[in-house]
Amino acid sequence: MRELAKIFIAVGTQSVGGGASTLFLLRRLLVEQRQLISERAFNEAWALCQLSPGIHLVALAGLLGQRIAGWRGVLVAVSGMMVPAAIITALMTAAYGVIADHPLAEAALAGMAPATGGMTIGLAIVLVRGAKRHGPRAIVDVALVAVAFGILLFTTVSSIMVIVGAAALGALFLGRERPTSPEGATD
Amino acid sequence: MDPLSFFLVLLKDSALGLGGLGSLPMLRQDLVATGLATDAQLVQALAIGRLSTGPSGLWIVSLGYQMAGPAGAAMALVASSLPPLVILPATAVARRWLLSVPFAGLVRGAALATAGLLSATGVSLVVPPGDVPSWWQVLVGILAAALTYQGRLHPAAVIIGGALLGLLLAA
Repeated sequence: MRELAKIFIAVGTQSVGGGASTLFLLRRLLVEQRQLISERAFNEAWALCQLSPGIHLVALAGLLGQRIAGWRGVLVAVSGMMVPAAIITALMTAAYGVIADHPLAEAALAGMAPATGGMTIGLAIVLVRGAKRHGPRAIVDVALVAVAFGILLFTTVSSIMVIVGAAALGALFLGRERPTSPEGATD
Repeated sequence: MDPLSFFLVLLKDSALGLGGLGSLPMLRQDLVATGLATDAQLVQALAIGRLSTGPSGLWIVSLGYQMAGPAGAAMALVASSLPPLVILPATAVARRWLLSVPFAGLVRGAALATAGLLSATGVSLVVPPGDVPSWWQVLVGILAAALTYQGRLHPAAVIIGGALLGLLLAA
């Protein structure tokens, strides 16, 4: 159990930027170096975590922890990965708060705002690439993306209603192929 | 907003989003549109989430800290950690259903809608409503989208690049 905790704390504190870098480190430590889980079991957990709500890497940590050490493993894996990383995030936020009102920090923010906006758009496109079906059915999928885009930009309809409505539509009409999500878009 | 209501908003939006950024459009509607938080706080949280360690979905912890200090960060941590764990009992009792065609469609529908909502949120961060961004800010947005889609440059480098350009051109 101590070894499992060390691995997930290392993942939480050494992978920067989330997504692919966190996944890479998890795979390297658990599968290649310590061999606590097989490649096949890791891949199966990765596929299953795509079906979870919220942060997929938390679901992955939970599934891997459970597979390796049962329910105690879930607690150790998730808290090991999340708590130290959350403390680092909170400390960084506090540090930024000290300088946030400085003119230079405001200038940096003027560049970070479009960068984060652009990254959000880029991630959304990656998400569409992974979730859309192939062939002519892709047109329906892209149309659904466009409708959700238009609703948020041009109406006051709740985002939650959009998600719930699209999920219901999906259950009825969009289930012909298994969805896949690229690693970088699903952290 | 009282702490319990704040926690429930974070929990609800985390539970209904797919992926680390999935809750962004909903949190923006619930917190920024209602005047409880600002877009600047949201941008700072997203940037710190990318520069910090661990899953980038921890940007919500940064937002929680900005809104309610360490207690807000702790609430955000719990609210973002609990919903994904639904997969554990779900795989134990309904693995076959999770692998069914209707469930695949449900996840696809939610993922596509999330992508549309994220795109719209991204656009409104690059071009804030009622505001006219500079040419270089639009260029930064386009470049950041292209680099993120391509996936070759580390996300932290994109954020740092944007900040440096801001220092050069807006200071």
